[in-house]
Amino acid sequence: MREAFTMWRDTRMIMLVAVVAAVYAAILVPFKAFQIIPGFVSVRPANVFPVIFGLMFGPAAAWGSAIGNLIGDIFGGTLSPGSIFGFVGNFFYAMVGYKLWGSLGPLSSGNEPDFRSNTGTQLAEYVVIAAVASALTASTIAWGLDTLGLAPFPAISISIGVNNFLTSAILGPILLFLLWGRVKDLGLLYPDVMRSEDLPDVGTSRTQLAAYGFLVVAFVWIAVGTFVAPPGSTFQLVLGAVGLVLAFALAAVSGERLSSIVS
Amino acid sequence: MSGSTSLYVDKPTIFHRLTARSKLALLVGVLTTAYVFGNPVVVAVPLVALFVALVYAGGWRNVKRLSFVIVAVFLVGFVLWPAFTPPGDTVVFRTPWFAVTTYELLFALGRSERIVAFILGGLLFITTTSNEEIVTGLRSLGLPYAFCFAVGTALRLFPTFLGATGTVRQAQAARGHEVSGANPIERFRAYIPLIVPVFMTAVRSVQTQAMALEARGFDPRRDRTFYDKPTFGTVDWAVVVVGLVLVVGSVWLSFQGYGQV
Repeated sequence: MREAFTMWRDTRMIMLVAVVAAVYAAILVPFKAFQIIPGFVSVRPANVFPVIFGLMFGPAAAWGSAIGNLIGDIFGGTLSPGSIFGFVGNFFYAMVGYKLWGSLGPLSSGNEPDFRSNTGTQLAEYVVIAAVASALTASTIAWGLDTLGLAPFPAISISIGVNNFLTSAILGPILLFLLWGRVKDLGLLYPDVMRSEDLPDVGTSRTQLAAYGFLVVAFVWIAVGTFVAPPGSTFQLVLGAVGLVLAFALAAVSGERLSSIVS
Repeated sequence: MSGSTSLYVDKPTIFHRLTARSKLALLVGVLTTAYVFGNPVVVAVPLVALFVALVYAGGWRNVKRLSFVIVAVFLVGFVLWPAFTPPGDTVVFRTPWFAVTTYELLFALGRSERIVAFILGGLLFITTTSNEEIVTGLRSLGLPYAFCFAVGTALRLFPTFLGATGTVRQAQAARGHEVSGANPIERFRAYIPLIVPVFMTAVRSVQTQAMALEARGFDPRRDRTFYDKPTFGTVDWAVVVVGLVLVVGSVWLSFQGYGQV
């Protein structure tokens, strides 16, 4: 997670944070009217952005998605203490992309996510990442809203998880196909913008272990929180606290492989 | 800032004159009272207080604008919570499929009021705090300058990109691409082709804006000053104390068993 802090030294990364946040919010707000669970879950084509931005802009996208979601809450009129969990959840939503790409062992394609070659394995890798990112985001937000007594975990986790996954899994590969090369030509992919010494220097085995850790934490948390732990219970509270601490711990120990894949 | 997106209302009220920090402290106090109690009669107190404050601060227009979300949030919470609440003793009404008890009804009502109170609290903050004050407030809370700068820039760029979406939409419409219509799925699909040009317009500006910033001596690691830095006066301190009293008092009362269903 070192890169999430060292990126603030670079002016272009800071501008990317602002642009990602503004674009995310600009696509979020017009769709605030299309509510699935009013006030909590809306139709969000913008949900495709955190994952693909994460792959393109790395830590700048993580901060940008978090800030963009907050701006969406502000201008959509749904700013509340629950927005804090929306901030954290959307941070993870983008972070999982660049942390997991290339780190999933046999599930990884070994290519940069341009969907130009080896498309089938790239698609499989992307879908796994979208599922992990969606599950982790949904769990974080649903746990926060459940803890605040705003909405029950099962109702929110399923709707956010499915909503996020479908949008990012369907639209993501199309947009990456259209955008990856253009952004790369502009020299704005995070491995091109950030200095190599600002990126985490972590061995392959640790990066891979952390990637699978994310996968396990995300799926176990959402499954147990939705189908086993009663909403508003101490079990739910403890489960979420453990899940969140583990997610941050994995983020702290993990590295990233995408920068070594990008040619 | 485009008038169509901003919820800020410029009005000389006491809430507008407070600094962002003291407003946050007061909000934390009021929202804590909405959070720690469950009895709908008790939760109604901070809810009504926030509504009155919001109307006083000129936020009635914002309430009307978001009335659909507020009403829907209230109703959804009211319907959802009984399904996730342990049943009580006294049945209020029974159908062939389910029965609703007094406990479930009061619990759901309290929770729905809490959600609305939280949303009105956020709305009060946004109604009385400009984007510039939000950024200055974040800095005064001790957040790093680079982060505050990114938030401020995003807040400034957001309406620009929202406007760019409109421009691209009009340009595509001129080429025969239909983006309006009653069917939400069709509208959703119609918006997809707009995403790429809006995104590329935004990303292309990163290089030039970064260069412009550095040419003006921008350095994220150096501290900087603000032109309009509000002073934290006596009234602000008094408001912080009120917020603190509300937090401590409401938590203590709830531990004593008051205000629960």
